[in-house]
Amino acid sequence: MTYLYGGTILWVDLTTGTTSIRSTLDYAEKYIGGRGINARLMYDAIGPDTDPLGPDNVIVFGTGPLSGTAFPGCSRADVMSKSPVTGLLGDANIGGDWAAELKYAGYDHVVLTGRAEHPVYLRIRNDLVELRDAGELWGQTTYETRRLIQDELDDPEAKVLSIGPAGENLVSFATIHGSVGNAAARTGMGAVLGSKNVKALVVRGTKGIPVADPEAFLEACKAAHDQVKGADYYEEVHTIGVTNAEYAYVLSGIEAGGDGHEGLDFDPEGRTDYNAFWNKHGYKRTGCMGCPVHCMENYSVPGVGATVISCELYTQLTWEVQNADMLLWYALIRQCQEMGIDNTSMALTIQWLMELHALGIIDASLTDGIAMEWGSKEAITAIMDRTIANEGFGAVLAGGMKATAEYFDAHVPEERRGGRSTYWYAMQVNNNPMYGINPRLTSMSLSYAIGRRSDCIQDLDMHQFDSVTAPVYPGWSEEDRAHAVEHERELAYELTGKERAGDPDTTEGKADIVHDMGIQTGIADMAGSCKWHTKWLFLYLMPEHYAAALSAGLGRTVTPEDVERASLRVRNVERAIEVKMGRRRENDTIPEKEFSKPVSRGHMKGKHGVSREDLERMKDEYYTLRGWDLRTGVPRHQTLVDCGLKDIADDLAELGLGLEPFELDAGGADLGAGEKETAPSARQGRRPGT
Amino acid sequence: MHVYSVITVDVEKCTGCRTCEIVCSLKNYGECNPSRARISIVRDERDGLISTIPVVCQQCAEPLCLELCPAQAISRDPQTNAVVVDEEKCIGCRTCVQVCPYGAPFVDPQTGTSQKCDLCGGDPTCVKWCPNDALHFVPADEEGLRRRRTGATKYLELLQTQGEQR
Repeated sequence: MTYLYGGTILWVDLTTGTTSIRSTLDYAEKYIGGRGINARLMYDAIGPDTDPLGPDNVIVFGTGPLSGTAFPGCSRADVMSKSPVTGLLGDANIGGDWAAELKYAGYDHVVLTGRAEHPVYLRIRNDLVELRDAGELWGQTTYETRRLIQDELDDPEAKVLSIGPAGENLVSFATIHGSVGNAAARTGMGAVLGSKNVKALVVRGTKGIPVADPEAFLEACKAAHDQVKGADYYEEVHTIGVTNAEYAYVLSGIEAGGDGHEGLDFDPEGRTDYNAFWNKHGYKRTGCMGCPVHCMENYSVPGVGATVISCELYTQLTWEVQNADMLLWYALIRQCQEMGIDNTSMALTIQWLMELHALGIIDASLTDGIAMEWGSKEAITAIMDRTIANEGFGAVLAGGMKATAEYFDAHVPEERRGGRSTYWYAMQVNNNPMYGINPRLTSMSLSYAIGRRSDCIQDLDMHQFDSVTAPVYPGWSEEDRAHAVEHERELAYELTGKERAGDPDTTEGKADIVHDMGIQTGIADMAGSCKWHTKWLFLYLMPEHYAAALSAGLGRTVTPEDVERASLRVRNVERAIEVKMGRRRENDTIPEKEFSKPVSRGHMKGKHGVSREDLERMKDEYYTLRGWDLRTGVPRHQTLVDCGLKDIADDLAELGLGLEPFELDAGGADLGAGEKETAPSARQGRRPGT
Repeated sequence: MHVYSVITVDVEKCTGCRTCEIVCSLKNYGECNPSRARISIVRDERDGLISTIPVVCQQCAEPLCLELCPAQAISRDPQTNAVVVDEEKCIGCRTCVQVCPYGAPFVDPQTGTSQKCDLCGGDPTCVKWCPNDALHFVPADEEGLRRRRTGATKYLELLQTQGEQR
């Protein structure tokens, strides 16, 4: 009996319409599931010549052994493909209820290869797998697609992942949407589906997930629930939501870190007050399957409609583009979700255009006659409409920042661009538009630079992030703030053993923290649960909690060290994929213009301002911890062998990569990733004043 | 007269996480399987507005399922007052499924017999696990009063807000 797993990996060849299956257990012990097995499947499936939008690309949807169970936040599916945005490994993670349903139908992963001749959707109902005609669905919004499919199948319980018109139109940063408010948003997974002529993946399952020791499993899950609910941060996320924290981060100057609004105060009347918007238009709090946190907000706004909002969405089409009209912001987010386009990428692209316009580098003649003035509602809506439709100047933007920069550079004389490419002004890492989190923060620059999908979210240094943002939490006194800062410093010290690891103006210990966070979030991603339930977001599940649930559920002992080792292993598989695609040390960086510039506003004004040397020093430390070659950033042969990845090690060696440690690497030799002891202790996130 | 407790639902508090479904199936069948759960979250999210309503047996005072069962397989548990199915007697005819106004019982394809909430023998698992306090196990004669208090509290809050504004 394949406890905790659906048991099957399903391959669907879209070109021939045929399917095949393989046992998940072939991969489970080594890669656990979710992001882990996905990564291994991707390693075996794509190469440097794979065209992200060609039939040779594959896209994998993966759940984990804890998806669909009683473990807190067990809702996640991980989506991987070669990214049309970065040309590297694309990866996005989606909550809601789709992942659980796939497990209930008896599958852990779905791999799509080839390209369908005409628009189709994949329908799975337990053992029934079929490709159905999606001609009528092509062009429909994600909301409508779900409704139409549920009606067609006469099954209101069918769980739907679908793309919107942006994905059909092959906009490089298109998204895949699940239940309302949930999206696999980053790195262009929607464009890959669109290129394969796949409108949706629809699942219904009634088989259930067998559990080896139900009583012990319930107990382990209950302990994990109690741990999450006992974390001091829980109450705030649960009752106020995480978006509220975003507002706090913006006010403290570390969110919406783009250069464009440097020092500008575009909203003196406080129209962007998120709480005011929630109080006026909020309908109810909501969340994903199996989650005690409910971090999302469901809104209903007359004349616009209803949708779900959480987290970063708040900062982007407001602060990043200097739009203080919250009703417009809301309508734009709903449009992103209906049309299936990444809100972050869209906002940061518009921000870039507005900055280029403000600097006099581009004018309306290059942007379809649209004047890209800061905060211009007309400009924002017109650019979005055209990008989604992939029409006019939008067709340029749909290709991503780099392609757009090439277009500008061909039309704007060099002296008007300050002697640089317009790409220099873009907030991107490897062509992936950045989040709003300020890359000038010391450790955040490292998170962005080494981020496995070229953004900072996976390997975020929450300790430092939080120690600087603490002051503006609602209801906190000065004393609370000082307390919180001190507490974060203690946590950082405890983890790294380095005195100043929690301080803003040093690189000391940052690599250790970023490395550790990467391991923690990796565990959740492999298990198929939400990475917010790790110390990453102070909801504090530790490897022990995952190991306990896996042990009881699988009926064999899984230790905390086992899951940590698997997380290290998977990160090395991902790195190996990226290395094969050409990623090297020099690609691990942040936009040059952001170096040595301190935070420009809020109470952190004048602090941080990471220099290029700072970043390079942190990268040295980080690569050493990872067992990656300092000169190239390639995982060393021995590192991969120690991780149990000898075949990948040999594969890279054949390409002349990762063979021997570089000379500089003295002292790092005994830190092979396989043996590295991270020795976590079950610590509780503690916030004063709650 | 002893008043037994029933599971009551606070629709406003339910966020639709379906933890109740998962733990119900784990407790009763040793697997995670909402399609076998004896409590369900009916979810609708058309046009982006999410409504989630927990549906579970109300342990009626005069249960149609009990009255109409042709096999006399349904009876009251004297300990908990729950309406329970004797699987030995059940013939899987679906009469209970058809007459229940809530759709609470269902015939499980794996057992071929009717299944429904038996209050876990007097200590319902779903109530213990609900992370949002949307499910309660309360004496049946208190439910009405509790709901009135909930309604009145909202009214009071409104009055107080207006008072503050003055």
